[in-house]
Amino acid sequence: MSVPAIAVKNLVKTFGDSTVLNGIDLDIAQGQVSCVIGPSGSGKSTLLRCMAFLEESTKGTIAINGEVLGFAENAKGVRERLPAAANRRIRAQIGMVFQQFNLWPHMTALGNVSEALKTVHKINRKDAEERAMAQLAKVGLGGRANHYPSQLSGGQQQRVAIARALALNPKIMLFDEPTSSLDPELTGEVLNVMRDLAAEGMTMVVVSHEIGFAATVGQQIIFLDHGKVLFTGPPQEVFKRPRNPRLEQFLDTYIDRGASMLL
Amino acid sequence: MSTKLFELLLQASIYTVTISMVSILIGFAIAIIVSAMLLSRQRLFVLPGQIFISFFRGVPLLVQLLLIYNLLPVIGINVPSIVAAIVGLSLCTAAYQAENLRGGFASVPSGLVESAEMVGLTPIQIFRRIKAPIALRLTFPALVNEAILILKASSLVSVVGIVELTRMAQDLAGSTFLPLEIFASAGLIYLAINWIVALAGGLIERSLPGVPR
Amino acid sequence: MTFDINVIFSHLPEIASGACVTIVIWIVAALAAAVLGFLVAVARRFGGVILDRVFGIVIAVLRGTPFLIQIFLVYYGGPFVGLSLDPIPAGVVGLSIYGAAYFSEIFRSGFAAVPKGHIEAGLCVGLTHTQIVRRILLPEMTMLVLPPSLNMTIILMKETAVLSIITVPELTATLSAIGSQQYAFVEALFVLALFYWGLVEITGWLGRLAETKLTRFRFFHI
Repeated sequence: MSVPAIAVKNLVKTFGDSTVLNGIDLDIAQGQVSCVIGPSGSGKSTLLRCMAFLEESTKGTIAINGEVLGFAENAKGVRERLPAAANRRIRAQIGMVFQQFNLWPHMTALGNVSEALKTVHKINRKDAEERAMAQLAKVGLGGRANHYPSQLSGGQQQRVAIARALALNPKIMLFDEPTSSLDPELTGEVLNVMRDLAAEGMTMVVVSHEIGFAATVGQQIIFLDHGKVLFTGPPQEVFKRPRNPRLEQFLDTYIDRGASMLL
Repeated sequence: MSTKLFELLLQASIYTVTISMVSILIGFAIAIIVSAMLLSRQRLFVLPGQIFISFFRGVPLLVQLLLIYNLLPVIGINVPSIVAAIVGLSLCTAAYQAENLRGGFASVPSGLVESAEMVGLTPIQIFRRIKAPIALRLTFPALVNEAILILKASSLVSVVGIVELTRMAQDLAGSTFLPLEIFASAGLIYLAINWIVALAGGLIERSLPGVPR
Repeated sequence: MTFDINVIFSHLPEIASGACVTIVIWIVAALAAAVLGFLVAVARRFGGVILDRVFGIVIAVLRGTPFLIQIFLVYYGGPFVGLSLDPIPAGVVGLSIYGAAYFSEIFRSGFAAVPKGHIEAGLCVGLTHTQIVRRILLPEMTMLVLPPSLNMTIILMKETAVLSIITVPELTATLSAIGSQQYAFVEALFVLALFYWGLVEITGWLGRLAETKLTRFRFFHI
């Protein structure tokens, strides 16, 4: 048995008075595509952000390929913040794609993708830009390398964001509602890139409302409600034969809107 | 009103523009230091920074100029009045520019910083490559605005004896008994200068690639 | 260097008088500017294109030229067009007009910031223009214009110092005179600076207090 790509143990996250994550235990296996679904406010994005250490957990641990990220917790529950440099190193195995794309507006597409290669990995300009170009071509945007984000459509911006994350050869890719900010006709181009990525064997965790994508590409579906994992399983079990009443209720809203693949 | 008088006004306006521009640049340099003090989050630096901004925004510029003009000789620093004037203007604009910079940094969308963290940039690298360039672009309109305010405020250095546009207008109005024409002309020159600055500022702003929306 | 605070104390009556002049001029001019600015903003919005353009040019001139030049025009140039004013009235007039230009822009932005949909809803249920202004526009605007109005009021207070140049006997003129007569510049100017600084901080604090109290009446979320 290989070590899980991401191991979440007893994860709790509170913001002031409200508890958003209420004790999550979860394993993401190597090469697996996991889709996190659930109603709004269930804590899906928070879970993803905790995995990336963009949010600090209140209790519990996250381990990336066996190494604990962010906070270490001993058996007595005593927490210790791990050193920033170690966290940066472990986090380098993760690439993240955001709902708002978060491309840097003062750099071109090429600039965005090559920035970390140049600044963090000290790769010389020419090589960095070559690698960046290759990544951009892979997501179908080789011809737009010198465009600024403001000159790109939403779908194109998101694909540049994916290229930017992939350029650093991550072992795990996290997607936080990658198509939620896009016009409907632009979601396809992004989902296709994600589909190709999954086919290549990338370990992915995707938070999304795109049930069709989850049903066809997902291998493990995680249903989150009120900060707890209510159900996990392969798409067949989750969608075609939901055994959890809350899950059924949640999926019904999709069937009402015509998600026929669930019937 | 003769063209000779207008020429004299125009010549004096060169002092106005020069003094203003020098003060803005020096003020910007001081503002960066003060902003750094505020961002450092060390009480030792934050408090003096806040007091600096509060004082130079709370006291009228005229009083600041009089204070510096009269204070420097008393503590033994003897400088030409033009230096005192520039020091006064610089300190005043520094306080406002520091506030503008603070606002600019606060307006950098946090998502842009997060994506930088995710690709591995260290905090210093994030500041240099992401935060500072974007904050400066966001602050630029306020900077142009401040330039126009300083150009107008420079009229006050006339009270410490600098012969810039307003002083020249006062002297000419007094000797020719044509206050309406003289002051109106001076006003027009100020308008023209401000209009040019606003225009130039707009052009430069449009040429800067990408401000986040 | 000696710092003799007694110079200040021995001249308290004069200083108090100067401070009173500063504060009275400030309050009168600020109120006049706010009222005038509001009327101009209303005229620009509802009075037709020509009025809007004309006022627009006047405001651009008032905002694009130094206050000192405007004051000189009123005080020294006024008599040539039949307007012979003493220093204090000239100061109030000049400051009011200067302030009105800025207030009119503040109110104009306030008008524009009220969502068009709210106005249209009013028209649909049959309200007249005046009723819409009174019952919809003004209440919604108030929260929006409060912070910049507070800011402008503070700016006007600081500009009263400039009036000393046309011999208005306000605080700057008074303390400068005392300072030069008694060779006590530094003391006098420090007191002067502290006075304004204190007044600005207090006004700002009161204004922010008023803002938080009035937030209860916010009609919509921005």
